[in-house]
Amino acid sequence: MSTVVDSRGSACPGPITDLALAYRRAKVGDVIELWATDPGVKADVRAWAAKTKNEVVSIDEQSDKIVSTLRILRR
Amino acid sequence: MTTNLEAAPAATNGKPPTADKLSIVMFSGTADKFIPLGVLAQAAAVMATDVRVFVTGFALLGFTKQHHDLPFPAELASMASALTQGMKQTHVPSWDKMLAEARGFGAKVYACSMMAGVMGLKKDDFNELIDDVVGAATFLQEAVGGQTLFI
Repeated sequence: MSTVVDSRGSACPGPITDLALAYRRAKVGDVIELWATDPGVKADVRAWAAKTKNEVVSIDEQSDKIVSTLRILRR
Repeated sequence: MTTNLEAAPAATNGKPPTADKLSIVMFSGTADKFIPLGVLAQAAAVMATDVRVFVTGFALLGFTKQHHDLPFPAELASMASALTQGMKQTHVPSWDKMLAEARGFGAKVYACSMMAGVMGLKKDDFNELIDDVVGAATFLQEAVGGQTLFI
C-alpha cells in the first residue's frame, strides 16, 4: 500500500512526527510518500530511516515541496 | 527458589544498557528554554528513542495545573514578542504540545520530588504532562547507558 503524508507548512520536528505516525499504521512493504516544506526534512528522513532500519527510496526536491519516498522494511 | 541470572535489571526496562535512550534534565524556568525541551523530546521520541524528562527547579512551574506565565530572561525580553510571532508564522507548536506528542510516543516526564516539596507542590498539583514525582536517584538510575542533556 502507498500512502501520501502531507506535512507541508509544518516545522521540524513535525514532518518526522507525521512520518512516525504513518509508520505506526504501516505494514512491511508499504511505501510512504512524505510531503514537506521544512528544509530539515531531507537529513531528518535519512536519520529516521537509518534509526528505524527502513529504506529511503528517493528524496525529490521540487519547486514547492520536498517529496521523500520511504519503503517500510521493518515494523 | 531459583534466581534468573539472565534477567536484566528493572531500571533498564529489560533492554541492554546500551539501549538508545535520551534523558533530559529540565532545570531552567524561562520560556525560551522550553522550546528546545519540546523539540528534542518530540524528535527523539518519534525516532524510537526512549525519552525521559526530569523536571526540577523553577521549570516545575511550567507543569502545574495552576497556570504560571513563564518569563523570558531579562536580556532576551525585548525579543520575546518577535519570537512568539515568528513561531506562530512558521507553525511551530507550543512546547507543551510537543511534549504531549513525545508522551504519545512513550516519553516519560517526572517531577523532582525534592524541589516539588520545596515549592509546596504535591503530585495532584501537576498537570497531565507529569507521569510521576520521583527522586534524583530514580532518574539517574533510569538514565544509565543513555545520553543526558541539561537544559
